[in-house]
Amino acid sequence: MIEVKNLRKEYDGIVAVNNISFEVKKGEIFALLGPNGAGKTTTIKAILGLINYDGEIYIEEKNARNKDIKKYIGYLPEIVSFYDNLTALQTLQFFAELKGVDRYECIKLLKEFGLKESANRKVGEFSKGMKQRLALAQCLLGKPKLLILDEPTSGLDALGAYEIRNKIKEMNKKGVTILLCSHILSEVQELADRVAIMDKGKIIAMDTVENLGKMLNIQPKLKIEVEKITDALIKKIEEIVKEIEVKENIIEVSCPPDLKLQIINEIEKETKIIDFKTVEPTLEEIFIKMVKK
Amino acid sequence: MKEIFAIAKKEYMDNWRNKWIIAVSAIFLILTLVTSYFSKGKWSDMSTTIAGMMLWVVLLISIISLMLGYATIVGEQEKGSLPLLLSYPVSREETILGKFLGLSCVIISTLLVGFGFAGIIIGIKAEINLIEYFSFIFASILFALVYLSIAIFFSSFLKKRSTAIGAVIFLWFLFSIIWDMILTGLLIINYGLNFIEKGGWMAPNWYYIAAIINPNEAFGIFVTTIIKMEWMRRLKLPSYYNPYVAGTILFLWTIISLSLAIYIFRKRDL
Repeated sequence: MIEVKNLRKEYDGIVAVNNISFEVKKGEIFALLGPNGAGKTTTIKAILGLINYDGEIYIEEKNARNKDIKKYIGYLPEIVSFYDNLTALQTLQFFAELKGVDRYECIKLLKEFGLKESANRKVGEFSKGMKQRLALAQCLLGKPKLLILDEPTSGLDALGAYEIRNKIKEMNKKGVTILLCSHILSEVQELADRVAIMDKGKIIAMDTVENLGKMLNIQPKLKIEVEKITDALIKKIEEIVKEIEVKENIIEVSCPPDLKLQIINEIEKETKIIDFKTVEPTLEEIFIKMVKK
Repeated sequence: MKEIFAIAKKEYMDNWRNKWIIAVSAIFLILTLVTSYFSKGKWSDMSTTIAGMMLWVVLLISIISLMLGYATIVGEQEKGSLPLLLSYPVSREETILGKFLGLSCVIISTLLVGFGFAGIIIGIKAEINLIEYFSFIFASILFALVYLSIAIFFSSFLKKRSTAIGAVIFLWFLFSIIWDMILTGLLIINYGLNFIEKGGWMAPNWYYIAAIINPNEAFGIFVTTIIKMEWMRRLKLPSYYNPYVAGTILFLWTIISLSLAIYIFRKRDL
């Protein structure tokens, strides 16, 4: 769907994106992850043709510099800003006209995003949440094949963010390819099929969250809630694994799957197990380990 | 082409809704009526009214056009709506042309409504030469478009709204005050103060050329040579001080400023 080849961008001699290449496959949710200044937004801007750049970008095998390709793209910017004096309906109708989309779709989208009652209100009077919903509505105009979402839940309350995440999943289920840029790691972990971690303008890792964890040898965590913790018990576990954390009556150990049973047996000899679960490596752990490397 | 009209329509609606058009139309209407009535203490004919309006029209139309256009690109960029607009299938040149068209319609509406109503009222009370009045309105529109396109040019390459407003204010002073001061200064340096007293004295050619390049002067020449004001007849002026050359200069200012705006905006990173 998107093919980025040797993308490079400099701003006044400072390299923002340094020769990166990646591919976003049709129908997947691909996330760009990285600390501030890593080059995520510059990459998105290049894909959208908002900046001049070196390298090649293809969308649906067509050069991204061709403006007609934008008919198939929906873009949700990080900073949502509309024309304050236009109403929500006029705003959508304006964008619909640019995309050559039927105006009827605007009312349908306003309804879908719970903005039908506010259709004739000036956007300048909207709350942040309403503006974000309108922004998402505009990027769905013309049923785009590709959605580019830059920090889609930024500044939203928990419920608003939850609704937006659900909408992203729903769109993806309908076959829409999604390029997501977010600094909320849990959000990326929940949504993304594949992740590219960027740092200082380069892609330092790119794979599924699971594979990235394996690559970095981050072990799953075993969380065991016990009735009583004794020094002898901890000593016994430490003989099996080095990384052990104790919080009240919960023991957390990072271990390969083959040692799980051995640890559980040792604990059962000393005390009663109330509950236990295995926690897979989080994107946060992967991200911190990658960026620190 | 439909993209240009869509952007133009949006610009017009945006300005219509913030009551800008109504306010500026009212200013033009009131000032025209006040000029017509108070220049002689009774309703003046149209030629006298236009002569009385020349100074404030030059100052006011230029300011209004600059204020209308200076933030059109840089303001949207600062607010964050420009990247969203350009993520749609619309090119940079279509964006500039659409904005120019929309804002031109805004300024043309204000001039037509303001001067139009004033013309009707003056026409009832005093004598009106329609050709002269329409020529004056046409020149005012052409003049407004010059400043509008210059403002869009500044807006297309400056990175901050505050810098853009500084630039257009300087430009306004340049064409309204500094330009004349420099030319007069150069005349004094070359010919001393005596030339002021010499009746029928003609300045060197470079002076007239440099003067007519200033859009304020070009507008003045366009209007005064059409209306053939009494004081103009007493002046010895070069043959190229005529409405055609003045109109062409105003037209060229608009085209060159817009072309530069498009050229720079195409290369700009958002």
